[in-house]
Amino acid sequence: MTSPDAADRGGPARVMLPKSLTGIDGFDEITEGGLPTGRPTLVCGLAGAGKSLFALQFLVNGATRYGEPGVFLTFEEPRDDLLANTSSLGLDLAGLERDGKLLIDVVTLQSETIVEAGDFDLEALMARVAWAVEKIGAKRVAIDNVESLFVTFANRPAMIRSELQRLFRWLKANGLTTVITGERGVDTLTRHGMEEYLADCVVLLDQRVIQEVTTRRLRVLKYRGSIHGTNEYPFLIGLDGLQVLPITSLTMDQQVSDERLSTGIPGLDEMLGGLGVFQASSVLISGTSGTGKTTLAANFANAACERGGTVLFFSFEESPAEILRNMASVGLDLARWVAAGLLHFHCERPTTLGVEARLVTMQRLIHQIAPTMVIIEPVSSLSSDTTGPDAPAMIVRQIHYLKSAGITTVLTSLTGSDMGEPSTQHISSLVDTWVLVRTFEGSGERNRGLYVLKSRGMAHSNQIREFILSDNGVRLVPVYIGPAGVLTGSARAAEETIERDIIAGLDEKAAQLAAALEGRREAVEAHVAAIRTDFETEESLTRRLVETTEERRVALQSERTAEGHKRTVASTVNSPSRERPGDPREEASR
Amino acid sequence: MTHEVAPDRLRLMLFISGASPASTRAVRRLRDLCDRNCPDGYDLEIVDVYQQPALVVSRGVVAVPTLIKDLPPPVRVLAGDFADESAVLTALGLSGRTAD
Repeated sequence: MTSPDAADRGGPARVMLPKSLTGIDGFDEITEGGLPTGRPTLVCGLAGAGKSLFALQFLVNGATRYGEPGVFLTFEEPRDDLLANTSSLGLDLAGLERDGKLLIDVVTLQSETIVEAGDFDLEALMARVAWAVEKIGAKRVAIDNVESLFVTFANRPAMIRSELQRLFRWLKANGLTTVITGERGVDTLTRHGMEEYLADCVVLLDQRVIQEVTTRRLRVLKYRGSIHGTNEYPFLIGLDGLQVLPITSLTMDQQVSDERLSTGIPGLDEMLGGLGVFQASSVLISGTSGTGKTTLAANFANAACERGGTVLFFSFEESPAEILRNMASVGLDLARWVAAGLLHFHCERPTTLGVEARLVTMQRLIHQIAPTMVIIEPVSSLSSDTTGPDAPAMIVRQIHYLKSAGITTVLTSLTGSDMGEPSTQHISSLVDTWVLVRTFEGSGERNRGLYVLKSRGMAHSNQIREFILSDNGVRLVPVYIGPAGVLTGSARAAEETIERDIIAGLDEKAAQLAAALEGRREAVEAHVAAIRTDFETEESLTRRLVETTEERRVALQSERTAEGHKRTVASTVNSPSRERPGDPREEASR
Repeated sequence: MTHEVAPDRLRLMLFISGASPASTRAVRRLRDLCDRNCPDGYDLEIVDVYQQPALVVSRGVVAVPTLIKDLPPPVRVLAGDFADESAVLTALGLSGRTAD
């Protein structure tokens, strides 16, 4: 191993900027690959901001995932404390040390016992680092928190500065990817201005108390020669240590599923292209209070259990007993799934606990139970005012996590108004299916209406359905849409009655008209009959008159004939005019 | 060191770095100082921090030169090139003898 002085001769030439993954969730995404390889990075922040954890995760992940052994040089806490504190985060430092993948050098500085007697430098510190690096062939180094040296040797800040610069040059010259932590000063990033000579990459960890809730933020202040996200990113310290939440750079590389899952409500499945929601998708059920969101979510759970799936039901408002009882009242027997070990409840009353702590608990349970479906009831309790401004971002992260793990997520959200609140809007842009439950008021009652606001990747109904809760479960019926708008409940029933009456009325009128027509027809026919009768009478009278006339003519003729005979007998020459002067026609016709 | 071990006999460990000027200076000054002020003799072990890094770690040394006085108690740690002689004598508990 070369002496630290070798650093002065310069490091190897770099053509491009290689990066070393930290393995810290989210951080590698915002830095597009991690920390600059072979260069020191300054991680600064106040006490408790998570600097040491950042440094340790960088080393442990390097050793376990990326085959890069690491040296941890700490000025902060005794070895036993360090091992105990990190084992609770699942970091097995002692085991890694046994395997030669990690070397921890605890530097104990007790200022009161060191007497200064003339000039000195920190060559021994450099010797320690050099020795440790060589011993395990380290590629990574973390120094936590080097500024303690300024306290120990308070009279010689200039010497410490120049010595640290020498150390950093040496680390760089030896191609060691290094994390150096520093405590934040009043107006400076670090108390002793280390940022002045650690200019390659600077990460700031911040911890603020906003509305009585601690929120953590991370920002990459500087990254020489590389693009990086410049925003403040919320982060949490969870089961797996640090998790940075880079909302804007969530990679969308999860597997998508074509499999469809029934919602447990035939009417709703029908609205969702007839098949229900996609597996591993996220469903948001939002609505005002008392609209039946829990019942809908419970139906999803029931359907999932019927398929043999495992459901983890987070309830932040009701106890399991309350949910089981309430669901039983609408014909949903969830108790059998609890007994079968398929349905797991986790209930927690809303507290002033930060959303971070809440999400950590949720993550632990998800790991333990490995469910196929997660229900969060209601997700709005995670993002209320008391949980801090980062809550939506954290929830988005959680949803993303569930999605990438192939877990179907059902979220309910309580909204004050019908169109949701900012936090819900935040989530609603991420979810795949958004079902909205509204109440319709009128006729002295409130009725529930349900519609699918969006459902990605499937044809879905644009209609509002009335959502009826009964002893036999949930039923969706088409609502009445009339000139007065959408009607539900008894108003719908009333409107339907009115419609029925109108139809009945129309029938009656038609019947009346038909009857009237029939009456008229009868009248006309009677009239016709009367005329006919008159005519027949007249006809018969006329006929009789004609007949009588004929009879008389015949009688007259035969009378004349008889007269003629008599005349012929008496006188053969006789004038016809004398015979009958009034009837010349009879003479002619003769 | 063949001297009979006395309870008040000085046992010193000096951490230096190779043949650097400060280290050379420190060794010379310390020997000179001890020779003049320790009539009963003293034990001095000189450790090169690059030769025996494990000892550097186990003794928690960061500065060079560093002198550790293990005996007589209490243990004292000094850092420097011993330019300040009176500070060294005080720390080693030898100041009273000089006055004699």
